[in-house]
Amino acid sequence: MAVFFVVWALIARGTANPILLPSPLAVGEAFAALAGDGELFRHAGISFGRMLISVGIAAAIAIPLGLAMGLSRTLDAIVDPTIEVLRPISGIAWIPLALFIFGIGNALPVFIMTYTAFFPILLGTVAGVHGVDRKLIDAARTMGVPYRAIVTRVVAPAALPSLLVALRLGVAASWTAVVAAELIGAPSGLGYAVEWYRELLATPQVMGFIAMIGILGYLTDRAVRALATRFTPWAVETRQAHS
Amino acid sequence: MSAAAASPATGAAPRPWPWRGVLLPLAILAVWQALGMLGGNVRTPLPTRVVAAARDLIASGDLPWGIAQSLGRVFLGFAVAALIAIPLGLAMGAFRSIERNVDPLIESFRPIAAIAILPLAILWLGTGTAAAVMIVAYAAFFPIVVNTVAGAGRVEPTLLRAAATMGLSRFATLRTVVIPAALPAIGVGLRIGMGVAWTAIIAAELAVGAKAGGGTTGGIGQMMFVFYAYSIELNRIVVCMIAVGLVALVLDRAIRLGMRLLMPWAPRP
Repeated sequence: MAVFFVVWALIARGTANPILLPSPLAVGEAFAALAGDGELFRHAGISFGRMLISVGIAAAIAIPLGLAMGLSRTLDAIVDPTIEVLRPISGIAWIPLALFIFGIGNALPVFIMTYTAFFPILLGTVAGVHGVDRKLIDAARTMGVPYRAIVTRVVAPAALPSLLVALRLGVAASWTAVVAAELIGAPSGLGYAVEWYRELLATPQVMGFIAMIGILGYLTDRAVRALATRFTPWAVETRQAHS
Repeated sequence: MSAAAASPATGAAPRPWPWRGVLLPLAILAVWQALGMLGGNVRTPLPTRVVAAARDLIASGDLPWGIAQSLGRVFLGFAVAALIAIPLGLAMGAFRSIERNVDPLIESFRPIAAIAILPLAILWLGTGTAAAVMIVAYAAFFPIVVNTVAGAGRVEPTLLRAAATMGLSRFATLRTVVIPAALPAIGVGLRIGMGVAWTAIIAAELAVGAKAGGGTTGGIGQMMFVFYAYSIELNRIVVCMIAVGLVALVLDRAIRLGMRLLMPWAPRP
């Protein structure tokens, strides 16, 4: 890691062109300045808020649908082909059409991120329900547990670990999409800020914002993992995610 | 998930109609067409107009050419990524000391989306093919390297001990034990890497189209942006979206098939 910074500093000194490659020190200063006047956190807050809203919407649709699809073969057979047809069309590819429908603003990045987060969450939920140990369901049935209770007390907890892994994938996917969506069609946010400073040829600021994108992405991933540890400490998926 | 009995909700239906999966897409298309004909104007994309636009775009050669350009960039960037990521991943998986030094670096770049690097790529390499290839290589690098490390690190310890007992050199162990054992994981990494590479090229071409004032670099992403910004051909945008999805599907299936043929011992993904 230290080697990386030394090499970077040496190359920066060699090229001696702060627009092409500023030194790590210059980037650090720009980062501190952007953080100092609050601009960094303003854009980060906007992007992060959009991500939370998008993942919230995606989860609100995908989790109930995924549970239902996991429980009902018929529903799965009806809905799954449609999902599989839409899934290969990446959220990014929706940007031009969505730009036309929503215009530049908040709706566009939220739509793109919701779309991107939707598929991993849905598929993870379905897989989680399918992965529930048959014996648990049979045992509950034998003991005369009503169907509703089987779903809420047996299937849902058993599917929870896989659901949280799916949520993590959804968050990561939507965080990737936010930059693209904001870069092209939003008047604010981290993606917009990166592009804004590129046009000004202010490379240290560009790199500062890129670093912020990485830091926030990393912290969010950690937070979702912590959530998984907190709520499903027993799960294999949770333990694997940490090893 | 294969048998109908896997569901606690429905008993095995007598004979489910095999075409019921087609119902929902057909219903969506029908509603779309009906709504568009009732409330839309000349520009509103409709399934029938999309089909006509697709015929035009294919006949004029624009769509195949755009896809070919994008695919060329994807393959180039993907090859660069694989050439760096696989040897690096193997080395990291086989030698703890290398992993300990390189892993923090990889982990700190991994959360940075490829598209966030785009401004730097444009700055360094211009708005042409080189920048697009760099984005693709960056995007594909991480899944490949992470899966290769996982594959090389998870080799059966018994096999490694057997190799050591029989006096194999480190290099021979790597070649005859570690690499074959890691190949399925590498294949998974390549498949995921190809998926993100294809997404990244669309994003890169779109953003270059949006931010570099049109440009003439081509590719399907650029085509979509031109249809959006200059000629406002929504039907053609939809055609491009479908094409993007189809290419993603074909790439994914092709790599799965290749893996199955090359590594019959690998677990099915």
